[in-house]
Amino acid sequence: MTVTTILGLVLLIIGAVFSLVAAWGVVNFPSPIARMHAATKSASLGLALLSLGAGIAARSWGLIGVASLVTVFLFVTAPISGHLLGRASYLAGQAGPLVHDDLAGVDPAPLHVGELERGRFSLVRWIALAVVWMLLWRDISVGTLGGAAIVATAIEAARSSFDRDTTISPPRFALFLIRYVVMVVTSNLRVAWEVITPSNARIREAIVAVPLRTRSVDTALLVANAISYAPGSLTIELTGDPPVIYVHVLHFTSIEDVTDSVAHLEDLVTQALPQTTPA
Amino acid sequence: MDTVVTVVQVLLGAGVLLALVRAVRGPDLADRIVALDLVLLLIAGAIAAHGARSGTEAYVAVLVVVALAAFTGTVLVARFIEWRDTP
Repeated sequence: MTVTTILGLVLLIIGAVFSLVAAWGVVNFPSPIARMHAATKSASLGLALLSLGAGIAARSWGLIGVASLVTVFLFVTAPISGHLLGRASYLAGQAGPLVHDDLAGVDPAPLHVGELERGRFSLVRWIALAVVWMLLWRDISVGTLGGAAIVATAIEAARSSFDRDTTISPPRFALFLIRYVVMVVTSNLRVAWEVITPSNARIREAIVAVPLRTRSVDTALLVANAISYAPGSLTIELTGDPPVIYVHVLHFTSIEDVTDSVAHLEDLVTQALPQTTPA
Repeated sequence: MDTVVTVVQVLLGAGVLLALVRAVRGPDLADRIVALDLVLLLIAGAIAAHGARSGTEAYVAVLVVVALAAFTGTVLVARFIEWRDTP
C-alpha cells in the first residue's frame, strides 16, 4: 500500500458515497426538479471522483488521462441534461409548487447567438484537440499522431465561433476554476446534508429570471453552467438577447438573494473571459 | 485494495437499486429518465472501480461510451417530452 494507492482508494470511496447521495436524492426529494438538482450535482462529482480515483489507484497515466476527459465532459454535459429535463418537466406542468415563478407565460425565445462566423485558426485549440484524440487512443505512435493531426485540422476548419472577441485570462481563469471546484464541493455537501436530514418541508421552490449584463454568449453559457453547480440552484432556461437566465432555486428567500449570487458568478466569469471589444 | 473496490461497487449497486425505485415509481417520464441516466453513471463508476482493481485499461473505452450514451439519451428524451407536451 503506497500513498498513491491509498489516495486513489479514498477518492473511490468518496465518489461512491456522493453517487449514493445522488441516488438517495433522486428517490427522496419531493419534486421532479429537486431530484434533478441531486442528480446533476452529486452524480457528476461522484463519477468524476470515481474515475480519477481509479486512475490514481491503478497508477496508470492512460486511465488518469481518460478520467480527466470524462470529468470535463461530465461537468459540461450534466447541467445541459438538468436544464433540458427541468424545462421539459416545467412545460409538462410537473414543476411542483412554486412560491415564485418568472417563467410563467414566457415565450421561450432561443438565445441569440448572432451571425456564426468562421473562427480563426488557434494553435492552442488544435493542440488540445490532438491531445484529446491521443488520450482516447491511449497510444503514441505515428498512426495516432497522424490521425490526431487530421481530426484536429478538420474540426478547426469546420468550426464556427460564436464570439471572436472572447479571450481567456489564464490567471483569472485559474482563480475561477478554483472557486468553481470549491463551489461544486460545497453544493454537494449541502445536497448530502439535505438528503440525510429528512426535512423536505424546508424546500421552497421558485423560478427567478435573472438578466445578465454581458452580451457575450460564451460568458452566458459559462454562467449558466456555474449556476447549476452553485448550492441550491439549477439553470432551467436561457433565453433572449440580451441573455436572461431562469434559475430554479430550492430554498427561495428573496429575489435579491438569487440576483446577487448570479451577479457574483457573472463577475467571476467576465474576469476569466475578458472581451477584447467591450460590449 | 480488493476489499475497498468491492465495498465501492456494493455502494454503487445500492445506488442503482435506489435509482431503479424512482424509475419504476415515476410518476412522469422525466423522473424515469433522470433515474435511468443516474443508473448509467453509476454503472460507469463501477466500471472505473473495476479498472482500479484489474489495472487494465481495457474498460476505459466502455467508461467513455457509457458517459456519452447517458448524455445523448437524456437529451433525446428531453426533446421528445417537449415535442410531446407542447401543442
